[in-house]
Amino acid sequence: MHTFAYERPATLAEAVALLDAHGPEARLLAGGTDLIIRLRDGSAQPAVVVDVKQIAEMSSTIREQDGIVTIGATTVVADIAASELVKRHFEALAEAAAVVGSVQIRNRATLAGNICNASPAADTAPPLLVYGAVIVAAGPRGTRRIPITEFFVRSGVTTLAPNELVIAIEIPVPARRMGAVHVRRTRRRGHDLASVTLCCSVDETGVTRLAYGSVGPRPVLYVDESGVLADPDGADEAKAPIFERMFGDASPSKRSMRASPEYRLAMLRVLGKRAVRTAIERLAAERAVEA
Amino acid sequence: MSTRFIGTSPNRVGGFGRVTGLQEYVADIRVPDVLEAKLVTLDCARARIISIDTSAAEKVTGVRLVMTAADLPQPMPRFGPQLEDRPVLAVGETKYHGEPVAIVAAETKDAAEEAARLVRVEFDELPAVFTVAAALDPKAPLVQDPSLRPKDPLASTNVLREHHVGWGDVDAAHADCIVENTYSFPMVTHFAIEPHAFMAAPEGDGIAIWSSIQHPNWLQKIMAKLLKLPLAKVRIYAPDPGGGFGGKQHTKYEPVVAFAALKAGRPVRLILTLDETFQAVRRAACEIRVRTGFSADGKLAFQDIKADYLIGAYCDIADRVVGKGSYPAAGPYNVPAVRILARSILSHTTPSTAFRGFGNPQVNWAVESNIDEGARALGIDRLEIRLRNLAHKGDAFIPFDTPADGDWDQAVRRAAELIGWEKPLGPGRGRGIAVGIKSGPTTGLSYSTVRLLSDGSVIIFAGTSDMGQGVRTILAQIAAEELGTPLDAITVVMGDTAIVPYDQQTSASRSTVLMGNSVLMACRSIQSQLRAMAARLHGVAESDITVERGAIKLPDRELTILEVLKPGLGSLGGELTGNGESRKEAEPDHPLGGAPAFFEFNCTAVEAEVDQGTGDVTIVRHVTVSDVGKALNPLQVRTQDEGAAIQGLGHTLMEHYIFDESGRIRNLGAIDYRIPTSMDLPLELRSETIENGDGPGPYGSKGMSEGALLCVAAAVGAAVRDATGVPIRDLPLTPERVWRALQERAEPAAIGRNAR
Repeated sequence: MHTFAYERPATLAEAVALLDAHGPEARLLAGGTDLIIRLRDGSAQPAVVVDVKQIAEMSSTIREQDGIVTIGATTVVADIAASELVKRHFEALAEAAAVVGSVQIRNRATLAGNICNASPAADTAPPLLVYGAVIVAAGPRGTRRIPITEFFVRSGVTTLAPNELVIAIEIPVPARRMGAVHVRRTRRRGHDLASVTLCCSVDETGVTRLAYGSVGPRPVLYVDESGVLADPDGADEAKAPIFERMFGDASPSKRSMRASPEYRLAMLRVLGKRAVRTAIERLAAERAVEA
Repeated sequence: MSTRFIGTSPNRVGGFGRVTGLQEYVADIRVPDVLEAKLVTLDCARARIISIDTSAAEKVTGVRLVMTAADLPQPMPRFGPQLEDRPVLAVGETKYHGEPVAIVAAETKDAAEEAARLVRVEFDELPAVFTVAAALDPKAPLVQDPSLRPKDPLASTNVLREHHVGWGDVDAAHADCIVENTYSFPMVTHFAIEPHAFMAAPEGDGIAIWSSIQHPNWLQKIMAKLLKLPLAKVRIYAPDPGGGFGGKQHTKYEPVVAFAALKAGRPVRLILTLDETFQAVRRAACEIRVRTGFSADGKLAFQDIKADYLIGAYCDIADRVVGKGSYPAAGPYNVPAVRILARSILSHTTPSTAFRGFGNPQVNWAVESNIDEGARALGIDRLEIRLRNLAHKGDAFIPFDTPADGDWDQAVRRAAELIGWEKPLGPGRGRGIAVGIKSGPTTGLSYSTVRLLSDGSVIIFAGTSDMGQGVRTILAQIAAEELGTPLDAITVVMGDTAIVPYDQQTSASRSTVLMGNSVLMACRSIQSQLRAMAARLHGVAESDITVERGAIKLPDRELTILEVLKPGLGSLGGELTGNGESRKEAEPDHPLGGAPAFFEFNCTAVEAEVDQGTGDVTIVRHVTVSDVGKALNPLQVRTQDEGAAIQGLGHTLMEHYIFDESGRIRNLGAIDYRIPTSMDLPLELRSETIENGDGPGPYGSKGMSEGALLCVAAAVGAAVRDATGVPIRDLPLTPERVWRALQERAEPAAIGRNAR
């Protein structure tokens, strides 16, 4: 393995200083489920690895305050999948977290790492887009909040500056009743990388939010405020052009071994329709519970 | 038979160590001063090697040896179980992606890996063949140098050998319905969880070799010849493998590691990564054309089968796989006319080797699927057509061979009953049923020694390999049954050629039968010594004494073994020793070199649900019924049967090598080569046995560890066909492949049971 320096800063300031000093030569280590593999196979050769797990200001908790749920950057995916708070407010995020990697991976991998790795196939990205998450990043000039729609650029690249790191992810508790679901396409039922990963929500005012990944350079969000998609009795012919608008820009890789572009595009449509249907059903179930 | 140990499922001998991490696999064994080795390979399949510069690699701290073909004896030593065609290191030309051109040995694994990267090989990539069609093109480059097979008329082609089997007159046979189709079976790998591991150490005037090998004695022979040493100076340590499946039968990198150890004067070990394992072992891909003739009543009129197996760059045992695997291709049926042509086709790909099922699953997929097509064409039930043609016990279904040795229809009827063949199906669902047959071992030689110690405890020496199938337990159960010794007072010693007597091999589901009979014979020898002892001690005739399990029965009383053994051995103690020999001689005139000791017969029935939107196949219920003669250990039989079924689901639903245009395997490793996980199992998996005590093994047992894999693909394929109306003739049945087939179907098919 390529040799590198290992740093374990105790404060956020120290971590930011290290990033500032080393720039792209530094790599952050939280769960390590992406980084360690890349260190081993030589595809990442950083001069310094900065372990963020001991930073005092970093938290591995999930807490709710003033209508916002904050997930600390070192929270592992398994804890998100199991969190009652997440399951109550963000069912589709809990579903997505439950299928990231394998049990062993989920016990190490963090949500922040999953999105900073910016894999187009990251399963947590579509629900974060649907729920309108905000990324809290710390840098030399303090912290800033980045809407997740402005976070992903392409595989491995985000809008974070080289001297910034994510310290938390904030998700607003939905103000309206909502049904949401995460679905994906894999080659087998056991743990696998998604060839389509998709999340959809429908709220009681008829707004449909649909986000998907693994069919282009980055996960993307589409919103339908017309109420057509959310209409449980709506005609397929009316919904079709909206779906086409949502899926029209998908551009799956031709080189992938996991699925051909034609299959991915077809599955995007199959999963999209199924997800809308499930979201509508879940919304109806919500209403029934409260009625 | 009422017995204490046979037919029961005691805790597995060695099981505690295996599941707690206490068992030492080859990679766990540390010898002092061992060097870590890494192979140097090229990033393409076929290349002409122009030069190899090792100077940079040699400068890496900790590197002790960089060995290339030039450092080995000249001409390059070659080896192989069937043909001696594989060089210890590639010489002049590489023939497949991953073929080693050099080996580095260093004090640490990191140093070896770094140095391996620094070995500079100048090479020209050469045109190569990776498919049956490309290999058979008259203009195709030859994989093997024709001089390796002088006098062979096929030497100037990529066909290594043709195997012809047949009887009756196919061309003259009358058929009311003829179904002809072409099927393909993918290239898949064994994926044993224990990595393939090799270690060698100079030992006095000889060598010690550790290997995760199934056939230690065969390895010993090959190594002795390569190193020009007497067998007694080549000691093979073969710790229990962590999964073999045939991939660990034959010599692979032991020679290069041994030469490296001798050159370095120190022990050297090589532990393959999973990626490297893909480049070391695989199953032959196959393209099969089947033309089946039926009478109007569904009786088989003829089978005309042509199977092209893509065996890879070197022969290994692959040509035997082709010959033996295709030989019963017409299945367990009475077919009046059969013509089988199977070809071993060389290609610039990983050399294929033995893999559970040994060449049978490939042709079974085609032939059983084609029988379904015939049933549909004739409007005959798919279960019924099988029952109408199935061979009955004693039928010479292969005219010059072992007759049908089981009541196979019992297995078929039971599987049909368990799957609910006659019951109505839910929407999107379909059922399939298929049968599989495999020839057991055609030759065999298994020696064993059993020692009955003075306190009644027992040591068994048997050279078969316990790779997870549980043969240690079976042998201990046999000794326990015969000598009355509790299992926890029995030790089974295996895996050391300096201590354990010769065993030919652990393959073809033979150990229970062949080594089992050997141990049985050794125990019976001890029984006769006990009879003599009791006769001497009690003044009765030997012929009046019987030994049954733990009891020695005299005319007037019954004694325990210890009551005879202790006084019989006397004040100095000592022990009784029995030797066993189980021999199945070769028959030179038989097409396979010998008639099989038994057949493995299995019937698999599947109910599947197909998601018409995504192409997903869910196995709702999977039933496997194997004719095992007698289940000596029912739990082990069931787990072997289930394991075979699940492994079969791998090549049926998801596993396949993907190549690029340079013959590189694109999906090396676990990320993009998917095997079934616990999440992918059938929602219900049911394994049952037929036990008529009609096998040649101890207590009427037969070998059974491969049967449930043989016809998984055909049964699942038939269920998918039944659910969708669309036949798919290429494996694996990935969601995308099924989806494509659904897209391409000309018209909405009649989904249901009208012509099942």
